[in-house]
Formats: sequence, C-alpha cells, structure tokens
Amino acid sequence: MKILVLVKQVPDTSDVKFDERGVMIREGIQSILNMFDQYALEEALRIREQYGGEVSVMTLAPEQAKSALQKCLALGADKAYHISDRAFGGSDTLATSYALSLAIQKTGPYDIIFAGNQATDGDTGHIGPQVAEWLGIPHTSYVEKVEKIENNVVTVKSLLEDGYRTIEMKLPALVACIPPPNFEYSNPTMSGIIKAKNKPYIWMKADDIDGDKSKFGLNGSPTRVVKMYPPPKREKGQIFTGDYREAVRKIIEHLKEKKVIE
Amino acid sequence: MLDFTFTEEQEMIRESVRDFAKKKIEPIALKMEETHKIPDEVIEGMAELGLIAPTVSPEYGGQGFDPVTAGIIAEELSRADPTGSIPVFYLVQASWGHVFNKYGTEEAKKEILPNVTKGKWFLGIATTESDAGSDVLGTKTTIRKEGNKYIVNGEKMYISGVREAYTRGGGHITIAKQFPELGAKGMTLFYLPLQSKGIIPQYIDDLGREGISTGGFTIDNVEIPPHYIIGQEGKGFYIVHEGYEYARGLIAVISAAAGLKSLERGMNYMKQRKAFGLPLAKFEALQFKLAEHYTKLSYLRWGAYYALWLYHQEMLGKASRFEVSKAIAMAKMFAQEWACDAIDDVMQWQGAFGYSKECVDQVAWRAIRSFGWAEGTKEIMKVIVSRELLGKEYISYK
Repeated sequence: MKILVLVKQVPDTSDVKFDERGVMIREGIQSILNMFDQYALEEALRIREQYGGEVSVMTLAPEQAKSALQKCLALGADKAYHISDRAFGGSDTLATSYALSLAIQKTGPYDIIFAGNQATDGDTGHIGPQVAEWLGIPHTSYVEKVEKIENNVVTVKSLLEDGYRTIEMKLPALVACIPPPNFEYSNPTMSGIIKAKNKPYIWMKADDIDGDKSKFGLNGSPTRVVKMYPPPKREKGQIFTGDYREAVRKIIEHLKEKKVIE
Repeated sequence: MLDFTFTEEQEMIRESVRDFAKKKIEPIALKMEETHKIPDEVIEGMAELGLIAPTVSPEYGGQGFDPVTAGIIAEELSRADPTGSIPVFYLVQASWGHVFNKYGTEEAKKEILPNVTKGKWFLGIATTESDAGSDVLGTKTTIRKEGNKYIVNGEKMYISGVREAYTRGGGHITIAKQFPELGAKGMTLFYLPLQSKGIIPQYIDDLGREGISTGGFTIDNVEIPPHYIIGQEGKGFYIVHEGYEYARGLIAVISAAAGLKSLERGMNYMKQRKAFGLPLAKFEALQFKLAEHYTKLSYLRWGAYYALWLYHQEMLGKASRFEVSKAIAMAKMFAQEWACDAIDDVMQWQGAFGYSKECVDQVAWRAIRSFGWAEGTKEIMKVIVSRELLGKEYISYK
C-alpha cells in the first residue's frame, strides 16, 4: 500500500507572544511539526504496520522546514518529498493545495493520503479537502481513526460536534486527521533519528511538477490577509462568594438583570 | 575552523529527549524524593527511546553515540530532573557502558550490555572504598585467579545504584588488587554481578539524588568467570581512568544545566516578586549576581562540551589521552562549585521560601553538591591539570 502524509512546519504556538501592534513575535520562536500532522503520520504508520506498504511524507515549504520532514523520517516514514521554490512564495491554501496535488500526481499514485485536519498557525483546515478536490478523490475531515481498509474501501471514524460518524470511502481517498483527547504523541527514538539520515530525501522545484504556473504562489492566491490581531481580552468575571444558596440566588438575579435569563 | 553548532541530528536528539523529559520526567521528579526510586515506566520509556547507555555499540543494543551526543542527553535530563537521580542513573551507565563496550570480552558484552540498554539491568562503577576514594592505589579489595575462575574479596562503599543492580539485576565494574607488589600495574578491572553469592549490600541515606540508591557491599569470596575481566589483568588502573573521565565530562554538563535551569527559575521569580515597590529584577545587586552566574555556567557548559569533543577526538585517534585528561579535569574542576553557588543565590533571592523544602532549588543544590566528590574531587582535578602543565615528575604521588 502506498501511503502519503502531507505535513507542515509551524511556529510552536504553546509560547506565542504578540507585539503592541498585535503582530506575532517570530524571533526566538521554535518551529515544530504541526501536531495534527504528526497525528496523521502516526495513524499512517499504524496502517502501514497493519497492512504493509510504504509511507512517504510531503511538504511545500522553505528549506528550513527540513527539520519537520526529518522528524517524520525519524518517527518511521520511509521517504520525504520537500517541494521548495521561490515560485511558491506567498501561496495561500488554494495555491498550496494546487502545487501539492501536482506533486502528488508526479510522485504517486497513492492508495491513501493522510493530512492533519488543520495547522496550528493558520487553522484553516483547507489543505486536506482542497488537495482531494484537485485530485478528484473522496475525502473526510475530523478523522480520529482509520478503522480498516478492506476490498479497496477505507472505513474511518470521524468526529462530529455531538458524536461520531463512520464513513466508508473508495480508495484512493484522503483523510484529514484530528487526534483523540489526551493522545500521547511519540518521540523519535535515537535509532530512528540515526536511520532517518539514510532515508531518501527528495527535493522538488516548481519545474519538477507539471501544471499551470500562473496558479503558483502569490499569483495563484485569491486570499488577501488584511489584518491580523489577537481577539480582545475578556473582562474579568464577577465572583459571587459566601453561602452557596445565597451565591446562586445572586447569580440568578444578576443574570436576570442582564436579561440572560428571564 | 571553529564551529560551535551541533549537527542537525544532535539537535533532533535534543528535541526528542527534551520533549520526553518534559512529559515523563518533570512531572514525577520531585516524587522521587519520597519514593527513593526512579519509576519503572520512566526507565522503560528511556530504554524505548534508546537513552540508556547510548554510548554502547548498536550490536549490543546501544546507539554508538559519541561523547558530545551523550552530553546532549545528559543536559536535557538534568534540566528536567532537579533531584539529579535520573542524570546520575544516565551518566554512570553511559560512561561505564562506553568502557565495557571498549574493553569487555565479546562474550560478556553479548550477555550483559543488551540487558543494560533495555533498562532491565543496571551497570555501575564500584572503585571507592571506605579508605580509598581519590587514592585508587589505596584499594584493599583483592582478586586472585584460581583455576579457571577468579575469587574476589573486599568491600566497596559510596557506590551509586547498589539497590538497582541488587534488585533489578546487573552489576558494577569493579577494581581490585591482583598483584599488590606491582602498584598501579597490579590492578585489575572486572564486572561484578551484584546478585552473586557472597555480595551483601548496605545503603546510605544521602543528602540528595534520592531517586537512585547509594551504598556499598561486602564481597565475600565471590567467584567470577574469566570473561568478566575488563581489558587485561593488571591494566585496570589505566582503563578505569577512561571511565572516570567520560563521567567527569558528563557531570560538568549536568552541573551547568542544573545551575542554568535554576537561574531560569530565579529570573522568573525576580520579575514577579516586588520589594520596596520594585520587581527584584530591577535591583542591580541581584542583576550582577545573575550575570556572573550565567557567564560562569555558560563557559562551564561550553568547556564541558569542548572536553567531550576532545574525548571523541581521542577515540578517533586525533588527540592524546593526556590532552583529554587535562580538558576534562578543567571542565570538572569548578562544575559543582559554580553550579551550587548559582543555585544557592537563587535560593537566597526567594527569601525564606528558598530555605523551605518546597523550594525546588534546594533539591537541585543537594543533588549537585554530590559532584564535589563523585568521580574525583576538585583537588584531584587540580592535580591532573598541574601534572599536565608541569610534568609527571612534579607530582608527589600517583
């Protein structure tokens, strides 16, 4: 089974700071593998263990994203594709997914493609579904688990607001994954890190993928970011203290005053 | 050409160890003060990642890591465990795993090292005795050949990991006199399984590093097979110093990391705590102390990495043993003192809280203080450096 995982390097958002204009301070912020993508990779590796095959990883990003792909190799992926070219500068999700879909056609075919449901920086959740649409294959987002692959059909468990749904898709298909609560991410083992350096690492340029170059980079990106700003800080809440009966009575009165309840 | 950067691979190793240590070690570290044990799941996790004796060759279950890479792991473990227990558990096995890997017999390596790297057994070092620490030639334990086996008698004291090897399995690389009349040339190094008949352990209630045991054992007519001899008969005194030096380099890294981590805690505190209407961080008396400690510890850190790098150069045949001895001794000389001084000041900045048992920094201070003795005192480090500067003929004793 040929498996592909789409990944992205993102800033470590566990320690993000903004300047007075609301612009993210990138200096000193480490870049990490998007955690949704790591989960997608771990699902892909589990599927490889179960059904056999080969797991490739792919990113479209500047050179410094190499460390994210190498982490994937250290975690167990077999091969890495790094698409990097100035022509892709300024790509929005549409242009990114277009270029990725071309690279997939060039390096594939794949039986199943995994992606993180979203990236922790842009948080759009676009890439997986858009790639699948460019390729014309079925896709499902919010996939917590790939249940099984039988008779060329993949069965996935997908998260809904109030539960789960089980979906069957004909292969080839794309699954955009989201980790279950309290998922424990793997750390690359020392031997995995050592082996990673001898695994195939393939660089690809814009000329290596066939397609409409006017759809690459800024030219192919209809999205314009007008402004970025952090959400306004919430005002400090009011705390009602004392005997709980009295406190509850006060809360009810307060909510009635504010016309939250009648 | 000077290049102070780590390789991409080393950076990835650091990231993986740091993340593991943050998730699995930091949350349980202080509990080891009460349980007096490194949790089994931490040891299993370390083994799974390949962090136990990673200096051992892959054919015996290790990673074949060089000393600098071994230092990176030590640094990250030290940052996560203020009790020093896991760093000690790590450094002893990394250093002596290297020695075993280099000088052990093929049969012994196949039998013992995979169990060590899998975390099943503990591999320690037992040279110190009640009356012989720095003075290795003062060792009273004896080993004699009897037919096709060796018989060991004596006593070892102030040894790390006695309970671990006695209960989990494993043993200690041990030194004893085989040919007393030959002095340094009459000492032999060997592997002593602590579950052997004739071993009686005892334990010491130490000031710190509570998660790993310290103690000793009497050795009463313990028989060991010939393949447990490490190196050759009579070469033990020379081989053992290679292990000491590896461990000293790692101790220097661990000390710097513990001190720098304590300074980080101190800086956070300084920025938050106010006195006379100002954050403590605005008082120059504290700023200058911080700057001094940070400078010393940063130099210590790089000095330690340089020493470990030189150790690796010797392994590659590009540096001499004596150059390495000097660089390692320089790195170890003030490691404990500078780290403890920094931690002591961080305790001071925190007012009376710094003296309470709730303060993490006092835990770190107690841990690092042990390195004032472990693997050689600073006085011994000065003897080594002086010997290399002046020549052996100016050393009053061996």
